[in-house]
Amino acid sequence: PKPPSINLQTFTGCAVREFTFLAKKPGCKKPVLKPPYIEAHHRVCTYNETKLETVKLPNCAANVSPFYTYLKAIRCDCGMCLTETTECETA
Amino acid sequence: DATPGVGCHLHPFSVTIKSDPRGSCRSRQTVQACVGYCESSAFPSKYSVLLASNFKHNITSVSQCCTIAKMQKIKVHLRCGATRPETIEVFTAKTCQCDVCRLSRY
Repeated sequence: PKPPSINLQTFTGCAVREFTFLAKKPGCKKPVLKPPYIEAHHRVCTYNETKLETVKLPNCAANVSPFYTYLKAIRCDCGMCLTETTECETA
Repeated sequence: DATPGVGCHLHPFSVTIKSDPRGSCRSRQTVQACVGYCESSAFPSKYSVLLASNFKHNITSVSQCCTIAKMQKIKVHLRCGATRPETIEVFTAKTCQCDVCRLSRY
């Protein structure tokens, strides 16, 4: 059954709302563009080749390892922001 | 096409506009897109980000993307072979800016 429409000006609480989304997956044909016909290709400057670097932090508590490991960029390239490895922020 | 330079600018390109998937009525039309470069950077994540992502997100990327700021509707006259011509409205970019990176909008 269709959930009742809610007046957002007066409603407080948590309820089901109906919405539409575009379902797609690899191996299925690209859907036909509908208005406003926007297609975006956004690549960002990010790490391409990396190396792990470890530094020793001063003044650590006795029960804390003083070593801190971070990724060092060897080479950068324009690419998609990969959410597996990267915190992708945009503003 | 010339490679876009520094910044995010209007960029004309030619498209074929069809009234339906079969293209019963169609026309070539120049529309504006936003093409170019905006600033983006990537750096080692803060310790709080590492903790929150279970040490998976060891890179943080901060970026803006070249996108359409204002759009404009234009009327396009389509030729339909033997039958009478049709007019439809399509969008074209009016101004561009570096803004939030969005996925495609369908």
